[in-house]
Amino acid sequence: MLDMNSLLIEQALLRFIRDSIHKNGFKNGILGVSGGLDSAVVLALTQKALGPDHTFALLMPYKLSSPHSREDGASLCRSLGIETETVDITPMVDAYFSRFPTDDRVAVGNMCARQRMTVLFDFSVRKQALVVGTSNKSELLIGYSTLYGDSAAAFLPIGDLYKTQVFELARHLGIPESIIAKKPSADLWEGQTDEGEFGLTYAEIDLILYQLIDLRRKPEEIAATGITAERIEQVERLIRQSQFKRTLPPVAKLQPRTVGIDFRYPRDWNR
Amino acid sequence: MKVRAVQFAPVLGNIARNLESHLERIETAIGDGIELIVFPELSLSGYQLKDIAAETALNPDSPELAALCCPGRQIDIVIGAPLELTPGLISNCAIHISGGAITHIHRKVQLPNYGMFEEQMIFKPGDSFISIPVKGFRVGLLICREILFPIHAYLYYLQGTDLLIGISNSPFRGLEKDRFSSFAYWETMGTVFAFFYHQNYLFVNRTGFEDGIGFGGGSFYAAAGRGIVERAPLIEDAILDAEIDGEEVRRSRLASCYRRDEHPRLILKELERIINAGHE
Repeated sequence: MLDMNSLLIEQALLRFIRDSIHKNGFKNGILGVSGGLDSAVVLALTQKALGPDHTFALLMPYKLSSPHSREDGASLCRSLGIETETVDITPMVDAYFSRFPTDDRVAVGNMCARQRMTVLFDFSVRKQALVVGTSNKSELLIGYSTLYGDSAAAFLPIGDLYKTQVFELARHLGIPESIIAKKPSADLWEGQTDEGEFGLTYAEIDLILYQLIDLRRKPEEIAATGITAERIEQVERLIRQSQFKRTLPPVAKLQPRTVGIDFRYPRDWNR
Repeated sequence: MKVRAVQFAPVLGNIARNLESHLERIETAIGDGIELIVFPELSLSGYQLKDIAAETALNPDSPELAALCCPGRQIDIVIGAPLELTPGLISNCAIHISGGAITHIHRKVQLPNYGMFEEQMIFKPGDSFISIPVKGFRVGLLICREILFPIHAYLYYLQGTDLLIGISNSPFRGLEKDRFSSFAYWETMGTVFAFFYHQNYLFVNRTGFEDGIGFGGGSFYAAAGRGIVERAPLIEDAILDAEIDGEEVRRSRLASCYRRDEHPRLILKELERIINAGHE
């Protein structure tokens, strides 16, 4: 059902990355590399689009991050000839939690994601590079991201590809098997997996999302393809609950032309 | 007639920069012996104009258009631009320039207004499909979504056109095994025009991204009775040159006789009956 032509998608995304960087007066792109699939794919695309000399990678482990993933990320950067910097975010994050301790693993995960964002945006100035985002369509739609954390970026090359399609693109791009074979994980705590948290596999989520969103099928039509109504409802709930993450905060309209409402200019205005 | 399609990405809302790149490409084309150069839809302004439209719309007396109307130039030019032909009313236009003057303005009739498109928020639609003479050929201009309603091409076909020109800002979308599904619409229509309306047909589509929306290029030339014979690459900037042969139109009309067997009056009579019966 999720057909795609990886060669054509690669060609389109390379043009998108190049256009997005160059039309804004930059030459360089920078991204956080976790050792997971999404950042590996975006790194490979950015390297192809801009060249290794114009691509920078930041490795930003926390003390609970998987050392295995970190090594996968570093090794990918080496093989792509990309300059990297490692910034251990443990002292920054722990400085905060030593004053405001918590047992909430999600709170720690969110803090890590936002800490990585501040480092990334600081380095974006140091390197004169735009931040290339790594969100995919599945996580954008179900809201599996930290607001102002991993969702913060200048543009999102793989934001219209479902996770299962990112796997296919990764194979096409020659991403190492150790990265592809790994269970998708936000790596917020040891042993965490995305699918374990959802109670659904990406294959299931993507089939539901694709039918709901792209094919505009009704839940009962999707249920007829053998997916339980409960799972479809769960995905619909996640989409609705996370709409705020996909929009700018609303401005209270008081005047004739209001930002976000009827002050209507494209982002690429004069670009 | 030697024609050239220019497949490129304008700077959104920057008429001065886009004018410069038009002039450069026109000069190059003159050097290459091109007789008609065609730019994509809204080539002077870019596509997603939103509130920019009111600030950048030109009128036929604008200095930017005067700069394109160079009296000594032998080349004919087709460009796309937002024109404010009546104060406060902007149309999405294809403009034909010949002999140093604007000789025809086609205002886009079919303004897409769904999903990512919001042209009816910006533009006033046109109301006619009038063919024009270009270097001894009869030519019809279509803008983007107009191409997808084959009745518009039919209106030109009845006027005896030899060459249809479709200028477009088509975003690519729809993942399929071997292509983006959106590419198929344009080639399908081009094939229909070439085989069943006996038209030579030049499709000129832009490239580049605006706010995440990518325009797919893939301009092509279809020869009457032969179908698509030249293709520009997808996604990348390019130029596509073609030689228009008026004899191809004649040959294809003689070969299949569709034009001879058309009954426009019958169509008109039936349209009136259908509309009067309340089916509009």
